[in-house]
Amino acid sequence: MAKKFLILWMAALLLLTTGLMSAWAADSVMLATTTSTDNTGLMDILAPRFEKDTGIELKWTAIGTGKALEMGKNCDVDVLLVHAPAAEKKYVADGFGRDRTQVMYNDFVIIGPKNDPVALRGASVVEAIKKLATGKAAFVSRGDNSGTHKKEISLWKKAGMAVPDQQKWYIQTGQGMIATLNVATEKGAYSMTDRGTFIKYSENHGVNPPLVALVEGDPGLFNQYSLIAVDPANCSNTKYGLAKRLAEWMTSDDIQKLIGNFKLMNKRLFIPNAR
Amino acid sequence: MDYILSGLIQAFELLFQGNPETYSAVKTTVFASSLSVGASMLIGAPLGFCLGYARFPGARPIRVVVDTMLSLPTVVIGLLCYAFMSHRGPLGDLGLLFTIPGMAIGQTILGLPIVVALTASAVENLDHRLKQTLLTLGAEPHQLLLTSLWEARFALALAGAAAYGRIVSEVGISMMIGGNIKWHTRTITTAIAMETGKGQFAVGIALGLILITLALLVNLAMSGLKRLSGQ
Amino acid sequence: MKERLYHLKNLTQVYGDRTVLDVDRLDIQIGTITGLIGPNGSGKSTLMRILALLEKPAAGQITFQGQPLTKVPLDLRRQVTMLSQEPYLLKRSVQANVSYGLKLRGISDTRQQVSRALEKVGLDPKRFAQRSWRELSGGEAQRVALAARLVLKPQVLLLDEPTASVDRETSGLIRHAALDARNRWGTTLIIISHQLTWLRQIADRILSMDYGRLTPVH
Repeated sequence: MAKKFLILWMAALLLLTTGLMSAWAADSVMLATTTSTDNTGLMDILAPRFEKDTGIELKWTAIGTGKALEMGKNCDVDVLLVHAPAAEKKYVADGFGRDRTQVMYNDFVIIGPKNDPVALRGASVVEAIKKLATGKAAFVSRGDNSGTHKKEISLWKKAGMAVPDQQKWYIQTGQGMIATLNVATEKGAYSMTDRGTFIKYSENHGVNPPLVALVEGDPGLFNQYSLIAVDPANCSNTKYGLAKRLAEWMTSDDIQKLIGNFKLMNKRLFIPNAR
Repeated sequence: MDYILSGLIQAFELLFQGNPETYSAVKTTVFASSLSVGASMLIGAPLGFCLGYARFPGARPIRVVVDTMLSLPTVVIGLLCYAFMSHRGPLGDLGLLFTIPGMAIGQTILGLPIVVALTASAVENLDHRLKQTLLTLGAEPHQLLLTSLWEARFALALAGAAAYGRIVSEVGISMMIGGNIKWHTRTITTAIAMETGKGQFAVGIALGLILITLALLVNLAMSGLKRLSGQ
Repeated sequence: MKERLYHLKNLTQVYGDRTVLDVDRLDIQIGTITGLIGPNGSGKSTLMRILALLEKPAAGQITFQGQPLTKVPLDLRRQVTMLSQEPYLLKRSVQANVSYGLKLRGISDTRQQVSRALEKVGLDPKRFAQRSWRELSGGEAQRVALAARLVLKPQVLLLDEPTASVDRETSGLIRHAALDARNRWGTTLIIISHQLTWLRQIADRILSMDYGRLTPVH
């Protein structure tokens, strides 16, 4: 009867999945990284190469920076690849992570409408922030505790101002970079984005993108990516040895070159800077 | 608008060119949803039967609780499960996080109230002569349960279809517990969420169409089963 | 003297605040056929359900095969079967319906017995065995339900208006089947019918029920 068939199907599935699970148990390391990193497509190049070079499978989940750090605290992952230096340093100091290793960097860009109502073009990052506040220009923020968001917050601080949390012109989407840029496009507002997403945004909008880069190259917009191993003193189950191997591999000359040559829509995206 | 059309074309390309990422996502979706719909039905149908069949004190408040659980957001279920399954949590040692069985457990929590509520309704609506007929023909309690459930099978099939629909289309639980890990726990829905987040709307539409096709195949099979069993 | 199958004493049944049954004393001997007549709502079906061990009375004593009602074990309970006035068929084929009771009792090879039972109620097995429950007329459904009970060779058979929806010829078949059950298996029958002439051809005694009270009919 149909019932017997269903029970057999369930049992088969359960066996199959548990069987597959134990097969996966063969050397693998679990990485938590950010959505913006994953969205560049870099992981899709690195992971298969890592497995080819070392025989270890690199599994990764792409989430917000805040969540990645949290998962490391909860011992759910073995290693982190994030870009929030201040938070990272505190993380290591608090004993949740170890062996913070710089891997590569790129930059952030402040973008806005072509007609640039508060004249940000060419300004330094501190001047630009001040102009946004005085001009009460519409600005769209990630507002989601991500690496990008933390960077943005640090800029307000650098300019000596409080984050304009309650201001009407400061819009917090609580979402990813593309969603945030879409809101900025709709409203013709300013925003801050990472280089990778900006490259994709410009490509998508073809010849005449509604938002263009206005402030770039300022050292304040530096975006450093680092690997952090989850501290085995805090998490007995973490695969510390494999995390170290990943760090060694990613900072090796060959792979650093690979990262440097990585292109997103024909534009170089990362500058390797392992020491 | 053009991403809808582009999505339609890409759906065909992904399917017929045998795109491996797509097929991996389909496989993961099928595994996880089969486990969870199956578990929801196996656990939920007898529970729903008890709720709809017997008149015991506390039946009505339990029914209210079950109906309320139909409104649980998937992200919340995902968060609750994560709290338990994380290595810091009580079930941490079971290693359920980032696995298909882990996702299936979360999805079962989603599907159970649906099956329980619909089964209870179906059983309440059974012909009142059924019980006496079965008793007079000599049925013991477990035979009463099984035969009554079989008599209500068409309504139960609806419960299964509703649970399947809710489970196969959810993102919150798969994302939180599965982690959208490529080749392992990336389902069609988490892939859609990811691609949409990247701005790849056409791919999102394409994957959505593939999901609908999958659902269509499942429902065709169900319809065939219904024919065989007498409807 | 035949053994007492049922012994009822001071039996009452109450629905809400209405007393629907008030029986001082009723004895039913094994292997007898008792007829029951009376107007609608007089309590006949209620008495049947109590005799079928499907309903508990509000007050009074019942013994079945010498044992008080509360302690009837499963194998004894399975010897009593009732056919109600508008019988319910399971949503499956005629064959499956008739063999259901046998399957409950762990008997798997049922084809022959089902065929014989169907023939007894005047349904050709070749034409009817594979029919779905949807494809039966009212009279055919009633006969299938009767066949499902006959096939069990029960010790006690309670029939509530078994000839209500059937034609004259089938009426005769059912009478024949009832007598056959008693003669061949020693089945005790209690039959409700409004057709007094039909009952007189088959019953050893007839009781009349009115307002829950029984009186013999001569």
